[in-house]
Amino acid sequence: MVVTNTVDLPTEEELTVPEVNLSNASLRAGAFHLGKYCEKQNLEFMLCRQELDDPRKCIEEGKQVTSCTMNFFRMVKKTCAEEFAQYANCLDKSSPYFDYNRCRTTQGVYDKCIFDNLQIERPEYGYYCRPKVHDSPRPAPPPPEKTIYTDVPHSLPEDYPRPPAKHGSRFHYAN
Amino acid sequence: MATAARKQDMPPPGGYKRIIYERNPARTYFSGYQMIAAYVGITAASCYVYYLTCKEIEHDEVEMRSGRFALAPMLTAERDREYLKQLRRNRDEEASLMANVKGWEVGTWFGEPVFKTLPADKLMDPTFNEFYVHTSYKEFAKRAMLKHWT
Repeated sequence: MVVTNTVDLPTEEELTVPEVNLSNASLRAGAFHLGKYCEKQNLEFMLCRQELDDPRKCIEEGKQVTSCTMNFFRMVKKTCAEEFAQYANCLDKSSPYFDYNRCRTTQGVYDKCIFDNLQIERPEYGYYCRPKVHDSPRPAPPPPEKTIYTDVPHSLPEDYPRPPAKHGSRFHYAN
Repeated sequence: MATAARKQDMPPPGGYKRIIYERNPARTYFSGYQMIAAYVGITAASCYVYYLTCKEIEHDEVEMRSGRFALAPMLTAERDREYLKQLRRNRDEEASLMANVKGWEVGTWFGEPVFKTLPADKLMDPTFNEFYVHTSYKEFAKRAMLKHWT
């Protein structure tokens, strides 16, 4: 493997946090409100991941994302468990790809419950597809240094003699 | 030799039936202009319905993508942690596997690294086969073939 002993890997304990133990249908059901509730953490994590391009440097941000997600689902469980389960069940059983358009009725019930209890409004359908501007407290990494090659050979001087080709053109049709 | 009486083949009494040679066109329900107008009208209407359907499908696709993007940070965070854990496990496994080989250094070929110009702390992703090298073929195939079936 390419990972040598000089590569600093975090230990197992540093990486172990309670993970979100939910099925695909439940995650999809909660996705829109979750994204709104954890927007700051998510943007921070994704920006870190994109800018630094190293999973080791964004572990703290990732833990915050996961704990925020856990908090969100705990809140949902406390307030709208039944509506949520109904919506997730509908998504699960209505189509093979958890299509949202098959479950508008249960979605309406769930949205209303979340809005009444947690004051989170469902964002419009393309909200997470739009680019976001995020002001991060973490300073941006410096741009990559431009490589300068010092051993490039010099070009010929301007007045170097340039006689015509000795054997004509290399293209037979031009001779 | 008696000759048999011969009977001349003649038309039936009253003559042959009249040959019908007049055109007998099918009943026309629409004139040509009416049909062209109907074609244009139906095409226009169906184009409109097609446009509406396209719009709806695009709406649904964007919504599905949006839902996945909303979940991406959480899934990426979880994946990163598990990935780093597994890298450490792999490295430890390699160290214990090659403990008896003299001069072996983990991640290198007897001290010769794969990437020579990179800083020492740079994490390079191992290739797929490398990542699964310490597991059974079955586990490898399960993951490797998964993308062909899903």
